[in-house]
Amino acid sequence: MAKVNIEKKILTKNEMKAAEVRERLKDVAVLNFVSSPGSGKTTLLENVLAGLKEKYKIAVVEGDQQTTHDADRIKAAGVEAFQVNTGNACHLEAVDVERALDTLGYDLDLLVIENVGNLVCPAEYDLGEDAKVMLISVTEGDDKPIKYPVMTRACEAMIVNKTDLLPYVDFDVEGCIRYAKGVNPDLEIMTVSCRAKEGLDTVTAYIEKKILEKKGK
Amino acid sequence: MHELGIASSLIEIVIETAEANDAEIVRTVTAKIGRLAGVDSNALYFAYDAVKEEYPLLKDSKLIIETVPITGQCEDCGKTDTYEEMFFACSSCGSFSVKLLTGEELTISNIEVD
Repeated sequence: MAKVNIEKKILTKNEMKAAEVRERLKDVAVLNFVSSPGSGKTTLLENVLAGLKEKYKIAVVEGDQQTTHDADRIKAAGVEAFQVNTGNACHLEAVDVERALDTLGYDLDLLVIENVGNLVCPAEYDLGEDAKVMLISVTEGDDKPIKYPVMTRACEAMIVNKTDLLPYVDFDVEGCIRYAKGVNPDLEIMTVSCRAKEGLDTVTAYIEKKILEKKGK
Repeated sequence: MHELGIASSLIEIVIETAEANDAEIVRTVTAKIGRLAGVDSNALYFAYDAVKEEYPLLKDSKLIIETVPITGQCEDCGKTDTYEEMFFACSSCGSFSVKLLTGEELTISNIEVD
């Protein structure tokens, strides 16, 4: 019996496809929004993209098991959107993004991917994004970042949403941030309330920074 | 959920390597998987055994997974720790500025062939 040393990273087909997508979107900021179902991803995007669309060419890829509800909402906000229905799958894959781009086109400043609501599987799939952004709403419990550490580490930023509900729930914002930083010290943290329109400027500034970085400005 | 994709990619590398080395049969395949890689070992064993059946070269092969612990070094005081929980505070000074040294691996180490 002979031993053959290899020492090579196992790259899946999805990672190879993601690299192709990333190469084709060299000048486009690509953000992959992840969260539990119902954290307010679509509402946040409706609020933030409404302003950014005046300055930048934006498209959104919406991932859900079924329905076009989210893409319809984004389109109603005046932004191009493509709905991917994953059927039984619990996450988007890079090939879904490529398919969406066949329709949306590559002439963009910003591509936002709203992943299927799930804090587990989407962590494991590179979609060719520049950064994953995690949303947590205050109705979910402040220990989500440490309960789903693989996702917390995969993200560049975390947005705590629905802060208008803080008086009614036992959500410790400082505790949540402490958990998050213990898992990923580099995580950029933002707190917003889409309903009270608080903190949205911070998210807009973060996204704009990502757009300008990609343009090399 | 993605272990089937990992098993398929792993097997592609194994076949390529085995053929390049004129192997007639693959006995073992050793992979290193960090605890933070987001891979479930049992699901990967299961997926490997399912996919290998399609390849005569691999049908008697055994996958060996070496689990790599999570280790990190504090960037403030320099202490090195091994982490059981996925919460990385320095055990000496409490800092969260911990640079992970190991735990994110997903690599194929070697194969044994005849």
